[in-house]
Amino acid sequence: MAPSVPDGCARTGPEPLMRGCGAMTGFDQETRDLILESLREYAKQNLPEEYLLELDHEGEFPREGLKKMYEHGTLGVHLLLIPEEYGGLGASTYDAYRVCEHLARIDLGIATGIFATFLGLDPIRVGATDEQKEIWVKRVAEEGLLVSYAATEAEAGSDLGALTTTAKRVYEGDRIVGYRISGSKQWISNGGIADIHLVLARVEMGVSWFIVPADTEGIKYGKPEDKHGIRLANTVAFTMDDIFVPVENLVGGAEGLGLSQAQEVFGYTRLMVAAFGLGAGSEALERVVRYAQTRVQAGGFLMDKQGYTHKLIVPHAVKLAAARAYIEHVAHRIDEGDGDLQTEGAIAKYFSTNAGNAAAEAAIQALGGYGYVREYMVEKIKRDVKITQIYEGTNEIMEMTIARNRWQDHLKTRSTLFHEMSRRMTRLHEKVSNVGADHMSLALNGLNVIFERCRQQKLTRNQHVMFKLGELSAEAEVAMVFCETAAMDEYSDAFPYDREMMKAMARIRARQAAHKILLEGIELVMGAGSGDAQIMVEETRMYQIIAAQKGMVQDMDLVATKIKEVFRSR
Amino acid sequence: MRIIVCVKQVPDTTEVRIDPKTNTLVREGVESILNPYDQFALEEALRLKAERDDVRITVLSMGPPQARKVLLKSLALGADDAVLLSDRDFAGSDTWATSVALSGAVREMGGADIIFCGLQAIDGDTAQVGPEMAQLLDIPQLTYAERVSLTHDLKVRAEQQMEDGSRVLESDTPVLVTCVPTPSFVPKVPPMPGILKAMSKPYEVWDSKRTGADPSDLGLQGSPTQVRRTYSPPPRGEVVMIPGDTREASRSLARLLIDRNIVGGAD
Repeated sequence: MAPSVPDGCARTGPEPLMRGCGAMTGFDQETRDLILESLREYAKQNLPEEYLLELDHEGEFPREGLKKMYEHGTLGVHLLLIPEEYGGLGASTYDAYRVCEHLARIDLGIATGIFATFLGLDPIRVGATDEQKEIWVKRVAEEGLLVSYAATEAEAGSDLGALTTTAKRVYEGDRIVGYRISGSKQWISNGGIADIHLVLARVEMGVSWFIVPADTEGIKYGKPEDKHGIRLANTVAFTMDDIFVPVENLVGGAEGLGLSQAQEVFGYTRLMVAAFGLGAGSEALERVVRYAQTRVQAGGFLMDKQGYTHKLIVPHAVKLAAARAYIEHVAHRIDEGDGDLQTEGAIAKYFSTNAGNAAAEAAIQALGGYGYVREYMVEKIKRDVKITQIYEGTNEIMEMTIARNRWQDHLKTRSTLFHEMSRRMTRLHEKVSNVGADHMSLALNGLNVIFERCRQQKLTRNQHVMFKLGELSAEAEVAMVFCETAAMDEYSDAFPYDREMMKAMARIRARQAAHKILLEGIELVMGAGSGDAQIMVEETRMYQIIAAQKGMVQDMDLVATKIKEVFRSR
Repeated sequence: MRIIVCVKQVPDTTEVRIDPKTNTLVREGVESILNPYDQFALEEALRLKAERDDVRITVLSMGPPQARKVLLKSLALGADDAVLLSDRDFAGSDTWATSVALSGAVREMGGADIIFCGLQAIDGDTAQVGPEMAQLLDIPQLTYAERVSLTHDLKVRAEQQMEDGSRVLESDTPVLVTCVPTPSFVPKVPPMPGILKAMSKPYEVWDSKRTGADPSDLGLQGSPTQVRRTYSPPPRGEVVMIPGDTREASRSLARLLIDRNIVGGAD
């Protein structure tokens, strides 16, 4: 099942606080169904569309509403992501993805506000002492404390090494009793409303995390940012002017551990942002499918017109289904204790948020004038989902992360990484012949050729080549996992599609991914290096990929017909 | 104090559409929910439980195995245990056969101090099961209750809705109460900790034998009501659009109503 990745990808994960690196069972389906139903019902009652649109218009964060969602007797939503030993309910990574997807369907700003607390808890989870965990995680569970993750600065976004916030030791005699922190933080989700901030600062021995109560004297808060989207999320900058933080609030009780603590959980956190992209994109798509079954133009429903469905609906439904397959695959692997899976988390985030953003963009087009006005939700969803391509590491950083790691894997495995994956697809095709695994076998083999050409001609000196290789690797691995999912006897209840439709979707995705990988890969090698195009086309078997496009339109017809049955007009 | 709350799984009628061709209900893809009247009754019971230490609430339902969903929701909202009557013998029950089964189960449980029912279910709208159960159990009934409380001497007090007002009734226990939600009622959503707790609460499925009822009194066999036909009444009359601003349209409407003798005109 899992891509054969060399060591380095299966590194030891964080301590099992929020979720385990030992096996994690999570909730059974019945419990999860009730949980998701409660979230939907709560939103229906308390967060109706008109209310969300009004808050979006005003750019207002619903602090009381969010606090209410944290009340144990009302909803207790935050407890889902906290382990039982600290007063939470201990959801698995899989459960957390389902919850995050649902929250994103309701409102991505609110989802971001809830998620920011967990992001803020991450340094505690990964690096705190038992006493610190006992105090702070329990307080978040019991009191519903809101937390912010305050790492980013004006000059330190993707590059945390450029951090300028400093923490100076405060001594009493020989003993360190605390730190004085000075510096500014920017783009901080929950920054203006959090009860505590997790602040990353440079100390004598290196970068470290500090737990800083929000009412500490000397913190000045800026105005909430006037954002393009997620306008229900509170995002502010704040400045710390020589503020005092007691030594007990140094995370882990030792200096210099901050950067590794910040890196360690990206696999999980990026998977949750992937779920945000999936949720927002799926919500936009489903709204369009329902609408287009009632909208008559030129004597027929929009949903019955190929020119409409095969451009604006089907490709996006397919990509979102592929994204889901990949997210589920990574979630299960994390729950099975397969490490934190940073590359896979990056692939999931990259592919799913791109798919979600593209689906929302297409949804505006598909709704025409109704898509472009603020009265309807799709316009808001499109503005909201854009952030998922930016925060928690921009998608360009994802391309770099994926490329760097897969490049290393390619070298370490002596150029057999993608070749192995290709063989895996060949074996799958021998068992299940109608999920597009044969196309992916060709594509992965071609990707191997492209990686080899880049190695031989030292093309990765070009940053553009490197990033592009990241993009193509993500495309390949997601399509591969989707083929495997479509071939399974059973797949999760999160897929609302039947087997025939899943298989057609996997075939469509495999053809599209294969075509993109080879065409753009060859272009890349020709563009950055030298060589004979004819030979590249032959070595990658590009002709076969073109031939594999046969049947594409019929498969799209099938998906367009079936998706109407899944998301009926109301 | 033992309280039994009877609940029913119903299709969410706000989502049900009529098929324009066949004139029948399209139930496909329509979610099943806890009957809102029953949820109100359950929340009244939970309110009594919150005021006292000795209350145990059992939720009782009859239906297919899928009805487990609404019982779990009831447990997640705070009920203590659940019993589902599920057996092919119950299939085709009308309100009478349903009441026989439910009251049989109540008797088998050793009775209750208070039995709560929703006034009616939103699918059938009969409002018969509660009163029939009271009759079969030979206990008093307080119907149309909006607000239920306990007096200091443990009598059950209910505010009963009337067409032209309300009245307060009291009864000794055991008693059956049918509830009707107040206009401002917003059903509570099960909180996350409640859902997790629900999964470990006692849950039993009973077959027809456990109700102690005579099999000939159950299911289709025990149902005196026969449904001959279900249909949507065809729309009657024509639609008249009245143009103009509010003032002008109001005059036109008044004239039209007078002309058609629907209201009397001023001479």
